[in-house]
Amino acid sequence: MSTAQQTLSTWNPLILRRPVVAFTLLGGLTAVLLILNIGIGSVSFSPAEVWQAIWHPHLSTTTGAIVWKIRIPRAVAAILGGAFLATSGLLLQVYFRNPIVGPFILGISHGATVMVSMVMLTSLTVGMTVLSPFMTTIAAFIGAYGVMLIVVAVASKVKNGITLLIVGLMMGYLCHAVTSVLTALAEKEKIKGFVLWQLGSFSGFKWSEIGVMILCGGLILGLVYFLSKPLNAFLLGETYAASMGVNIRRFRVLILLTACALAGMITSVAGPVAFVGLAVPHMARLIFQTSDNRILIPGVCLVGALVTSLCDLIARMALSPVELPLSAITAFFGAPVVIGLLLKRSVKM
Amino acid sequence: MYFFSASPFHPITLSSVDKALVNNKTRCTMNEKTAPSILTCRNLTVGYKDKAVLSGLNLDFAAGQFISLLGPNGAGKTTLLRTLSRHLDPLAGHIAIAGRPLDQMSAMELAAVMAVVLTDKISPPLFTVYEFVALGRYPHTDFLGRLGAADHQAVRHALAAVHADDLAARTFSDLSDGERQKALVARALAQQPRLLLLDEPTLHLDLKHRVEVMGILRNLCRSEGITVLASLHDVDVAAKVSDRVALVKSGVLVDWGMPEIVLENSAVAGLYDFDGADFDHHLGSIELRGTGNRGRAFVLAGMGSGALIYRMLSKRGFRMATGVLHTNDLDYFVARSLGAECICQAAMQAIDDRALAEARRWLAVCDVVIDCGFAVGPMNQGNINLLNTVLAKGKPVLSLRPNGRELALPADGQIIRCADMAQLLAALDQRVPAMGGGGSAPYPEMREAV
Repeated sequence: MSTAQQTLSTWNPLILRRPVVAFTLLGGLTAVLLILNIGIGSVSFSPAEVWQAIWHPHLSTTTGAIVWKIRIPRAVAAILGGAFLATSGLLLQVYFRNPIVGPFILGISHGATVMVSMVMLTSLTVGMTVLSPFMTTIAAFIGAYGVMLIVVAVASKVKNGITLLIVGLMMGYLCHAVTSVLTALAEKEKIKGFVLWQLGSFSGFKWSEIGVMILCGGLILGLVYFLSKPLNAFLLGETYAASMGVNIRRFRVLILLTACALAGMITSVAGPVAFVGLAVPHMARLIFQTSDNRILIPGVCLVGALVTSLCDLIARMALSPVELPLSAITAFFGAPVVIGLLLKRSVKM
Repeated sequence: MYFFSASPFHPITLSSVDKALVNNKTRCTMNEKTAPSILTCRNLTVGYKDKAVLSGLNLDFAAGQFISLLGPNGAGKTTLLRTLSRHLDPLAGHIAIAGRPLDQMSAMELAAVMAVVLTDKISPPLFTVYEFVALGRYPHTDFLGRLGAADHQAVRHALAAVHADDLAARTFSDLSDGERQKALVARALAQQPRLLLLDEPTLHLDLKHRVEVMGILRNLCRSEGITVLASLHDVDVAAKVSDRVALVKSGVLVDWGMPEIVLENSAVAGLYDFDGADFDHHLGSIELRGTGNRGRAFVLAGMGSGALIYRMLSKRGFRMATGVLHTNDLDYFVARSLGAECICQAAMQAIDDRALAEARRWLAVCDVVIDCGFAVGPMNQGNINLLNTVLAKGKPVLSLRPNGRELALPADGQIIRCADMAQLLAALDQRVPAMGGGGSAPYPEMREAV
């Protein structure tokens, strides 16, 4: 059997060695990190105590409260955050056919930040108490989508990848400028919460938010998986995709909406998290040695979950009990990836 | 209806348009009545937003034909192809694919009938050629794009049709331009279309792949019954592979029909505004007309012996007169394309006194005389007379005459034997130095001298 047929017969598990091995390993590692994230913390418990607390959730005990109200939501949020941001990055890289885009690079995270700052720092939303739990999520989505529309409008005029990158950076600066003005004008009490949010952390997730993320995010990921066929066609560019039968207009809207929704959902609670959306798709391509989105979509979810879980563990434990900002840790491994990609011209989309 | 754009019009183009108006019925009806039309354009105007690039197009493409789209750069070939493949909306008019209006077809329906090969540079990462070609199965696979047995068979068939079986396991981004073009055609074939549109399929390809790709495309028409519409730059190639050619220039369809009828010498020269070049209908090739005035050479040729020598002399900047040639001789067509003065005799007739007299006048004003070593028969005895005359006057003759074709010539004649073209060239350089040495008069004076 030729190698071409091997790589193509993605649905025969006997032939499909590489992806199966990779999925198993990644899944195993992610599970290990999940356990570590639950087991390790600034307050140390014995494994038996944690085990006990997991299976007998009594919020009245210290162990139970810490495990169920702090550690498990945070560990789950890290997994969801990594999966969503990475998927969002993959969608954007396929859409722009450019290897150095991601929700953070294109200014989409900053767009979300501006809208969240409006909600958190001003009194615009006073009185809208019914919506308040989801206010930041909705605001983040609107902000992300607004910036995305601007970037898409510019990208349709210029095809150059570097220009697109600069446009994204400029959008980031503009959004940052608006945010700083709002911060300067805001009341002191509100500023602290916002600044902490802006540093990026998976610590603030409540169970209700995680429920919404699992439900909505799960639906969106399912939808994205069903988009993998047109996504594959899109690798040849819009014109070829259209000639093969992709309904470009509908597909374009779907891809951008889902990418913004996934990135916005995470940004609204965890704050802007840098580089995950950019670097993880490349790591997944290297691991799976394919551009086939039917493999890459679940692939980036796993790799993303793994990376953010690891980063979160480092952020919490490196200088424990002081917690480092998550974006700082992700930047430490993400920035070299970007520089490497720029230097290595051979990496193309 | 034909529209004329405001741009200045080449006289040849105008006459061709008139001809097209008259001939469109007679030239095209024969075929279109018998074969069903796969692609029909009615009063089509293509272009961008406010600027029409081509207007008033009425075309019918019969199934299984190879149609070439010819015209100078910027004439609108790509714009027309982009409109026919629905990447651009037509500004006016109507397009039907296999009898159905193009604007009413869904993307999937269109993809099942039409495939395209574009000039866009694409290099999807981490794709084997097999996977790349399999993407062409898009309109035939399920919602996840899974490949069934029929799909694998179609992919293998497509790869075999473009002689790319051995590329299947290679990485797409590592292919050479020629291999990539074959993979692109294979991807389009995997779509199992009835109509294949190609934009400059031979651009950037070396000679081997250019010939190979054109051969592949022609085979698709013959054996698979696919209609191929390709924009091409090479008129000579187009003339040899196409069933129909469409000539576009200055915003209109200048002519449309069989290449054997449409691609006349003057039509091609007019289409591309040839200056210093000529297209010969019979040879199907383009010759660069000589422009130098290095010296005046008289070439005694015939029966194909002179063609290469004419090209060499023209390239080296010589003015040429040649004769006596029969009007059915290959030498005659080449010499005429190169702009040489031809002294000719009607085909199948012995060279007569009129031709000889004219040839002698030309011989008198020439700096060098070359004998190409033509074979001698009853019809070209006159040329031996000419040789004798030259030698008798003491003029040297550079001769490429091979052993076995010796002639009974005066023993005192000055014959300089050259074994091959290199020796001939060396002898020429010795006699007529390359730059300005001979001080020859320019072309018109050569005429006047006669």
